[in-house]
Amino acid sequence: MKLQLDKSFDTEKCRHYVNNRLTVLHCHHYATLFTQLAIDAKDIVEGTKILYETSETVFFEVLKGYFDKNNITDKAERLGLAQEMFSAVGLGKIEPDSFDESGGLVEMPVSHLDEGWLKKWGKHNSPVNYIGAGYIAAMYSAVFDKPVRTYTVEEQESKVTGAKKAVLKVSL
Amino acid sequence: MAIDRNKIIEQMSKVSAEANPDGLISAFNVLINSFPAEFWNMFTHKMVDAVSEDIVDAVEELFVNAAHECGYHTGYGIITSKEWDAIVKPMVENTEDILHGAYAVFTAWGWGKAEIVELTPGEKMIVRAEDYYESDIKDSYPGNKSKRMMAYMIRGVSGAFMDLAYGGDYDPTGEAGMYTFECKQTKGIETGDPYGEFVVSKRDDS
Repeated sequence: MKLQLDKSFDTEKCRHYVNNRLTVLHCHHYATLFTQLAIDAKDIVEGTKILYETSETVFFEVLKGYFDKNNITDKAERLGLAQEMFSAVGLGKIEPDSFDESGGLVEMPVSHLDEGWLKKWGKHNSPVNYIGAGYIAAMYSAVFDKPVRTYTVEEQESKVTGAKKAVLKVSL
Repeated sequence: MAIDRNKIIEQMSKVSAEANPDGLISAFNVLINSFPAEFWNMFTHKMVDAVSEDIVDAVEELFVNAAHECGYHTGYGIITSKEWDAIVKPMVENTEDILHGAYAVFTAWGWGKAEIVELTPGEKMIVRAEDYYESDIKDSYPGNKSKRMMAYMIRGVSGAFMDLAYGGDYDPTGEAGMYTFECKQTKGIETGDPYGEFVVSKRDDS
């Protein structure tokens, strides 16, 4: 099954919906500055953890809601749809290198955050894909029918630090 | 004023943001993302509530700055786009029309029904907004009301729109031309007001 995106516009409230979920467009300046804010706040609050968990929470609902509504139970099909959704929202491209219920490795050859960060500021001394990592944690939980926060995702290789692609490790 | 706001909203709301095979959405000289509004509101809520009262103002300013840069660069991308040229530009007679047109596009994008209610060219602008997605943050607070006005995105973008209109030539580096105006929120749906109100004026040090 190919990912179905039902897009609608409420002409009275002037709001956009994708699969009945209120959706807004923003640019890489906004996403990278939110990420920078989260990183820079490390001495006063766990900003990157909040960003990661926010992404995990929200995208878990997106994916689980989609699977439930369309009665999709096959794990491989769920994985393929989750990869499509990652691209559809503009986050980039993810390709699981190894994928099972206990975790694995996910490659991210293209990322909205990496491309945006490099375009805006150039290289950085640490990874910046907290939104993408949260999405991958959500993807694992949604595919394997686990609750949110079951998985931990850590970016091991990062494009903004000089790697050719991002590689993220997923563990229980 | 020659701007037909309803026509712009009707036509610009149909502009679709589709990802390329790499999962990137390129438009208006920037990369676009299309996230659930809840993502932005939840992160904002958690960050603001996580910091102590003595630094919450500083954190709020960082959110406003993020939107200001977004509004400056993406705003410029919009008013120089082929979509703008096709739909809005034929209605534009002066700088003020560009501003009115920009808020029609702002509305068409689904950020909120925002409209200029007072404008002194080069000096001051008052914007009123209804149904802005940031006001939905109220639903995550007890009693469906937040204690703070939290439409940081509208504040930042509104300041940026005045920069683009009256702050000089667009500077891709953002070093000149940006932050010549600032915006204060004076009413908020999230705090119980019937609409949001935003006052943009020249920055004191500009």
